Amino acid sequence: MGTTASQLGKDLLSEYQELTFLTKQEILLAHKRFTELLTKDEKDLPNTRVPVERILTLPELKSNPFRKRICHVFSTSEYKDGSLTFEDFLDLLSAFSDSATMEIKSHYAFRIFDFDDDGTLDCGDLEKLVNCLTGETDDTRLTTEEMRQLISNILEESDIDKDGTVNLSEFQHVISRSPDFVSSFKIVL
Amino acid sequence: MYSEPQRPGSRQVDDYIEENGYPSDQQSLRLRRVSSRVSNQNYPQHDRSSTPAEENDSGSSGPPRDLKAIPLPMALKRAVRQVQQMQVPVVSSRQSWRRKKNKSLQKLNENARGLLHFFTLWRKTLQQIGGNFGGGVQSYFLFLRFLVVLNFVSFLLIAGFVLIPSIVVRSVGTSVVNSTGADECTVYDPNPQGLVVFYNYFLDLLLGTGFMEYSYMFYGYYNNTMVEDSDFSYNIPLAYLFTAVFYFFFCLICIIARMGTAARVAVATGGSSVGNYSIIVFTGWDYGCQGGRATKLKQKNVHYQLQVDLEEEIIKKKAAALTLCQKIVLYSLRVFMFFVSFGLIVAAFYGIFMATNFSQEMSGEEGILGLLLEYLPSIAITIGNFVVPLLCDQFTLIERYTPSTTVIVTLLRAVFLRLVGLGVLLFTLWHQITCEGDTESEGCKLCQYNYEVYPCWETRVGQEMYKLTLFDLLINIGVLVLVEFPRRMVVDNWSNKLAQWVGRQEFVVSANVLGLVYGQTIVWTGALFCPLLPLINTIKFVLLFYIKKITLFSNCRPALKTFRSTTSTFFFLVVLLFGWGLATVVMVYSLAQIRPSMGCGPFRFFPNMWSIVPTSFYSLSKITQDFLFFIGSQSFSIPLFALSCVGMCYFVALASVYGKTVALLRAQLKLEGRDKQFLVKQIENLSRHQILKHTAGAHE
Repeated sequence: MGTTASQLGKDLLSEYQELTFLTKQEILLAHKRFTELLTKDEKDLPNTRVPVERILTLPELKSNPFRKRICHVFSTSEYKDGSLTFEDFLDLLSAFSDSATMEIKSHYAFRIFDFDDDGTLDCGDLEKLVNCLTGETDDTRLTTEEMRQLISNILEESDIDKDGTVNLSEFQHVISRSPDFVSSFKIVL
Repeated sequence: MYSEPQRPGSRQVDDYIEENGYPSDQQSLRLRRVSSRVSNQNYPQHDRSSTPAEENDSGSSGPPRDLKAIPLPMALKRAVRQVQQMQVPVVSSRQSWRRKKNKSLQKLNENARGLLHFFTLWRKTLQQIGGNFGGGVQSYFLFLRFLVVLNFVSFLLIAGFVLIPSIVVRSVGTSVVNSTGADECTVYDPNPQGLVVFYNYFLDLLLGTGFMEYSYMFYGYYNNTMVEDSDFSYNIPLAYLFTAVFYFFFCLICIIARMGTAARVAVATGGSSVGNYSIIVFTGWDYGCQGGRATKLKQKNVHYQLQVDLEEEIIKKKAAALTLCQKIVLYSLRVFMFFVSFGLIVAAFYGIFMATNFSQEMSGEEGILGLLLEYLPSIAITIGNFVVPLLCDQFTLIERYTPSTTVIVTLLRAVFLRLVGLGVLLFTLWHQITCEGDTESEGCKLCQYNYEVYPCWETRVGQEMYKLTLFDLLINIGVLVLVEFPRRMVVDNWSNKLAQWVGRQEFVVSANVLGLVYGQTIVWTGALFCPLLPLINTIKFVLLFYIKKITLFSNCRPALKTFRSTTSTFFFLVVLLFGWGLATVVMVYSLAQIRPSMGCGPFRFFPNMWSIVPTSFYSLSKITQDFLFFIGSQSFSIPLFALSCVGMCYFVALASVYGKTVALLRAQLKLEGRDKQFLVKQIENLSRHQILKHTAGAHE
């Protein structure tokens, strides 16, 4: 039940169509781009796992500041090293696709922003998040004073139960207010 | 802890979730279900996650959960699917029929979407623009694409109902109705006499005169023929009128439909706003950004936005701390600046008025001077639209509003200037056509319009609109070639301090959008008099798309201050509606008040254009007449009005209920959080007591 050598079987294709938000053309395109990442010997093996460095050569992910987190979240590897199989890749594209629901996008966005994987966004996660957004160079980083003010503003707005962290439902509550989220949380090959 | 029987597949699923540190689907949902049973109906988007809990423990049949929306890896989704397939749901035949129907409908939907995907215009280009320049600039191009499609469909409408029947009728050659009224009014001979110099053709193309004037382009060419065959009748004047009116309604519906998506979000969330910062940080990143340069730009952008917001907060705090004396000074400055800018705008209007008058007086000149004089109104409007916003921008420095208010104030001023400027032009034309509204005066007594200067006034108005459209396009091309390319070459090759300070062109979205709205308003105003104008506008907008794309990619650097894309789309459509309103006023007035020309056009023997409707009305059958009378009468319209009021009240009430529910649930969540903290403290105290007891016991 993995990818065959060079073509997807018809029933496998329809199964993927049922389990993801991708259309048939998108799945075929994803398959093409994924097989381009494989070396010659890997192409014959079913269910190959591509290491994270090769995934990050894709132009859509190459300069994304969250690229490592994205690979980590969608990876089903036991070593948690961010390597992806083709099915993981399809899951990734499905969550980032045009027709994915707001709910699934916000769920995965939450997991991507949760840098320490503890199920909530605390001050450390928020600080790392803001640094990713503004860039790591010195002239685009916020000063410590601005960062402190910003994080306290964020927690004041979104932490409803005042426990100092933003959990999944509070996060989804903020996201539901923003009409831009669905259109910006999109990666199309 | 939970005693319901769990199926093996779902246990596997729950294990996976728990080992990844997330509260089990069921556990968190159990908590939520208890406290928010009320909210289930009001939050359709959370419905999905609550159904599996209900499904699993009750074991009853519900609709099979949409597998795509489960946030799990593929292998586990397969497991869930197997579990679902193993469950033999006890469903009635009706439910299973409904489920099959839903599935086939979904398949149809997917196929349709796939097909639409293939036909979408400029999809790849828009993706590129969005990735490199951000959502704000992309929304401008999306708006432009919307207008292109709207104009093209309108053209098809007009072609189908007016143009093609006119062509058919003309070739068949039926007769014209007899004439009444003075003979001088019916004199209209636009065809040029004698030999025509070659460059005149080019001038005619630019001015809409000569060979273009007496063509399908303008109102004057259409005849008032009414074909009446044995089994087929077609009333061209009636078709012309109804097509024009329907065209306006059609555009209104399209605009409102497009506004609907953005407005829906505001209604559903009860109108309350969660703060800026969370939204910028959680939803600010555009994952479509490609390439190192675009990413760095977006990062700079986000950084700038956050800084501006933090700064605005500090400014607001400072403004609240101003003394009374300083406040008075600031407000009086603002009022003064308002009057100055208003005075500037009025001066621009006066300039347009004078230019139009002068141009109409001097019409008839030949050659290049004549061309310039004909285009004088367009030139005046363009200069006004360029100079006044530039000056007003300097005023905003003195007014010292917060950055967000400044943007709105600038935009409103520019919109006012553009649309009312156009209104002034139309008013001036009306002035001259109807001799300032006085039908008893010298020039207008005979035909109720100024027949000497305007033997066919509708064509004249159509020509003015045509000239405006063309001039707009020429200006855009001219600015691209003569201003933007040289500016880029100077900035890139001349490392002077001045050149660097001026810098590369920035793509200012608001100014460009206003240009589009202005162009579309001209087309709406002129569509009644120049039926082919939507087609010309379609071509113009397509050319404009490519021109703007070229200038964007070659000459521009991305703006540091950006718009938010959905609110800006909503704003663009609101401004477009203002333009539509202006055009509607013009159309209604022309239909109802001004006497149509007697020398040309489909309405030549009617006192006003609308009067053809009652005339044709009486030729319908008795039953249809009675039915239409009934619909127009009070016994139908008053109940209809009352019903729509009730409907509107219902929706307003619904929106306010949503808002109140949201507030209530937030308060509830706060309380629960506090309860949780209280209980945690209690547990800590108790365990401490236990430990102390133990150690005390151990000592003894």
